Amino acid sequence: MSANPLMPCLGKLVEVRDLAAEIKLFRIEMQNGGGEAFQSFQPGQFAFVSAFGLGEAPFGIANSAGRGPLLDFAVARLGSVTTGLHEQGAGDLVGVRGPLGNSFPMETFKGRNLIVIGGGIGGAPLRPVIQHVLDHRSDYGKLTILWAARHPSLLVFTDEYDEWRTSSNTSLHLTVDKPDEAWQGEVGLITQLLEKVAPARENAVAVTCGPPIMIQRVTRMLDGMGFAAQDSYVTLEARMHCGIGKCGRCNLGEKLVCVDGPVFNMAEVGELMETYL
Amino acid sequence: MSRPQGSPSRKLISQAGLNSWLDDLAATGSLIAPRLAAGVPLYQRVAASNEIAWGISRSVLSVKQAFFPPNERLMTIRKNGQAIQLEETVPEEAQIVFGVRPCEARGVRLLDALFLDTPPADPYYASRRENTVLIGLACREMGPTCFCISVGGAPNEAGDVDVMLYEVNDGYVLEDVTDKGRSLTVDLGLDVYDYDPHGYRYESHYEVVSPLTIKWPGLFEHEYWQKMSERCLSCRACAYVCPTCRCFAIRDESIGTGEFERLRCWDSCAGENYRLLAGGHKARPEKGDRLRNRMFCKFHFYAEQTRLGNISACTGCGRCIDVCPVGVDITEVLADLGRQP
Repeated sequence: MSANPLMPCLGKLVEVRDLAAEIKLFRIEMQNGGGEAFQSFQPGQFAFVSAFGLGEAPFGIANSAGRGPLLDFAVARLGSVTTGLHEQGAGDLVGVRGPLGNSFPMETFKGRNLIVIGGGIGGAPLRPVIQHVLDHRSDYGKLTILWAARHPSLLVFTDEYDEWRTSSNTSLHLTVDKPDEAWQGEVGLITQLLEKVAPARENAVAVTCGPPIMIQRVTRMLDGMGFAAQDSYVTLEARMHCGIGKCGRCNLGEKLVCVDGPVFNMAEVGELMETYL
Repeated sequence: MSRPQGSPSRKLISQAGLNSWLDDLAATGSLIAPRLAAGVPLYQRVAASNEIAWGISRSVLSVKQAFFPPNERLMTIRKNGQAIQLEETVPEEAQIVFGVRPCEARGVRLLDALFLDTPPADPYYASRRENTVLIGLACREMGPTCFCISVGGAPNEAGDVDVMLYEVNDGYVLEDVTDKGRSLTVDLGLDVYDYDPHGYRYESHYEVVSPLTIKWPGLFEHEYWQKMSERCLSCRACAYVCPTCRCFAIRDESIGTGEFERLRCWDSCAGENYRLLAGGHKARPEKGDRLRNRMFCKFHFYAEQTRLGNISACTGCGRCIDVCPVGVDITEVLADLGRQP
């Protein structure tokens, strides 16, 4: 990070490609030594990406440091900054400020079975967890990926499903709320898929990310399936402007999502005075 | 901040002497003081002591703006084709702020805990803080909405400024509080004066329940908040006049062809879309949720976030009471909550 934590570093877009409907993947090469800060970021951390002239917004880093040095961000076109980013292409310069926030405790996950539950673009911040496990396969037990979207056109990282499926001790389960004609997989909410897959809770940890309502339903279901609160991890989205604990916007009670999170286990969430789950 | 050793040295300065000193400070540097700006007292740069709004109880906006201005440029962005140049704009100008009341100076101490002492330090705030000397002015009396005494302060508390002035019949008693302050007054050649500011008795206009006696965590889910907020307009005025509200937004603005500034501006947790998430999910949708957040921030969250312990982040200046168009009164909230079992 620059000595000034509010100053972004320049990053060059090396590749911009469609990931899903209105969702693009941005692959960024940091410029002028700005990559040093990103040499050892952890799965779950986030960064602000600037569309200069329009502003900046926080995004979970969508790849693991081991798959670097390029930084991946999955960006849905929703507001002015994300629309500005969508209008950029390879060779354009953006700003990157980070890495910020805490991370999934990949060290303490070692030796355990992992259940990764991603809804829509909420799967993006979980991709570094998947990549890290696949790249350190013998360190972790069974990897069960539950991946969902409202519609097949909104499934992210489809071109990586074969890699996930064919990795050892790894399974991928997909579902969509509303199928199209070509869809041959499961149809229904991710909670239905979770019920069907019914992953064993013994020696397992679950990591969940998606829209607030999905996180709420999934974590409740995991609780009902006997997962201990401290074995059920989530990464929370929050509107934030500084990412360094100053601007006040992302508080959940006395905790700040930007510095105390974005990763929490459900025991920690249970102690929050305020949540939107 | 380093302080001179031993008991505080207090000296007497006449009004004329003070005016002349302030004239010198204004002539040789940037002197900020309460000034009647189209009739409204605000901290602004003054060219001479006769521009200072003497005799006011306090300015409408607090001294917070000297370190954390309503709008400030974080950087300049220049775009030329695909090339982009970023210029960091951390301010370096020195300034002296005169007429700071103890309640707002206490606010600076609270802001320091977040912007300086909780890592990472904010370089813009830090630079302004480093380059600023605060000259405090003790209050002669407590104003009708003042309650600093109820939240741990005092109208003559000198601990948060560099030089303190106390109004007396013959002029002002001047006290060097920090070395920074002493370096500013050392050449004045004033005579030592025997004066005990703590001998002066203040009369509070009303009783206020101390927030430190209230069990905050248990009141978070109380129905009180929705009821209390029925008259709140979510206009955010309370946050802007508050010496310790620190919410801000960052955004880019065009300032010319291919030129933009990244701007930081005050914001408030009272705003309806303050917490709008990307997918449209509204966190804290009700006014009561937001009013509760502001009160909890003042009396519980802020001290937790800055590890200050059991301290009120409200300094009792009363500005929010004066400015609220619908009579939301923070002391009334304290009284109501103080009655809860």
